[in-house]
Amino acid sequence: MVDHLKDLHKEYSEVPIPEQLDLMVNRSLKQSLKERRKKRLKYKWFASVGVAAIVFLIAINTSITVASALSSIPGVERLIKVLTIKEYIVAEENYDANIKVPAVTNMENKELELGLNNKYLSENKALYDKFQAEIEELKKQGGGHLGLDTGYEVKTDNDRIFSIGRYVVETSGSSSEEVTFDTIDKMNQILITLPMLFKDEQYIERISQNIKEQMIAQMKTDPNIVYWIPESGDDELTDMFTSISKDQSFYINNDGKLVIVFNEYDVAPGAMGSVEFVIPTEVIAGDLVSQMYIQ
Amino acid sequence: MLNRKTEKILTNCIIENKENVYRLAYSYVKNKEDALDIVQDSIYKAMDNLELLKNPDAVKSWFYRIVVNTSLDFLRRNKKVQTMEPEMIDVYCPGAEDVYSDIDLKRTLEDLPTKYRSVIVLRYFEDMKISEVAEVLNENTNTIKTRLYQALQLLRVKLKDEASKELM
Repeated sequence: MVDHLKDLHKEYSEVPIPEQLDLMVNRSLKQSLKERRKKRLKYKWFASVGVAAIVFLIAINTSITVASALSSIPGVERLIKVLTIKEYIVAEENYDANIKVPAVTNMENKELELGLNNKYLSENKALYDKFQAEIEELKKQGGGHLGLDTGYEVKTDNDRIFSIGRYVVETSGSSSEEVTFDTIDKMNQILITLPMLFKDEQYIERISQNIKEQMIAQMKTDPNIVYWIPESGDDELTDMFTSISKDQSFYINNDGKLVIVFNEYDVAPGAMGSVEFVIPTEVIAGDLVSQMYIQ
Repeated sequence: MLNRKTEKILTNCIIENKENVYRLAYSYVKNKEDALDIVQDSIYKAMDNLELLKNPDAVKSWFYRIVVNTSLDFLRRNKKVQTMEPEMIDVYCPGAEDVYSDIDLKRTLEDLPTKYRSVIVLRYFEDMKISEVAEVLNENTNTIKTRLYQALQLLRVKLKDEASKELM
């Protein structure tokens, strides 16, 4: 009997493992983790029956006229202002959204101003619509929790540079945060892009290398810090950080340093949130077109 | 944060046991494609229902349970189709079963009702403790012991000539 069990066991363990298994498992893991992040339809409560739903849609149209009135005050003419022009608020028992739409005013380059404002407005409108659609979907499935919070933060505002960062936080079970930045050259009234700062594309490699060094250094000093890089000795189940993208999120801080920003989950576990790296100027000095923006 | 941690635990568990769960799935469905499908489905199901995993220490038996249930679901679904039009099935999927040399032995295990097959596979081939098998199959340990005993009995009946002194 036991021998026969052994035979059966042997047979069992001799089932060949197909070579696709590894690939399939990794792909499924990656995909399912991604889906978890995008849409968590967990925590279903059936209590949403009879929930009184109040939807506020407040459009605070802090009018552009107010803004231009401000600009006519002597001494503030170069001041680029950011105002909240529209706010979408959804307040229901299990769903809440707070969408603040920034608008820049007072730029001389009206085309750029309009372009930015339209972008902000349409992106936020899209987020709001998506949120509404998700609520509908959730309600159909018996309810759930969903939160959305968007807003902005002026990162830098000095004589030369104006950097505005916008964030989107989606909450459902756990949350994910996405940040995007726009950096404006106030003197020339142009939008600064990352490739524009450099002579050629070598900056990608140089900055990536520096960030990796910073990551390793940070992980050494603090065991609680984890970055997903091959050097961390972690398994290869998540997307590893190998290089920044050509137009990676960035801004220029008040000290004139380049700051590279990653979204939550891009290079590190969610607990780390979205992470920023200040790039020492000497690392990229040779690649810069000029010292105009970055010192 | 907690979510991320359990995600990590589950991910590691899946990676560590991928070959085992593949074999486990294979022991039910007996062909490569379906076994792969089951493993894939199970990964999605596990991730999707991670919030239901109350105790991360039990992640292995929890994931095995998903694999077992997914396999059983699969068999149930397939059975239905088969009883409807067995000839058509043969026409449409010739050789869905992998060819196997050791037909005698295989039949014996395969002929066991799945509930017996599960305990044999988990206990002896996956080398789980009785308590773990109980967790995977969501039964209490006594039920598992009985079932295991019966399973061995059944196997012995089929393999008449075999001695059975060392059972359990």
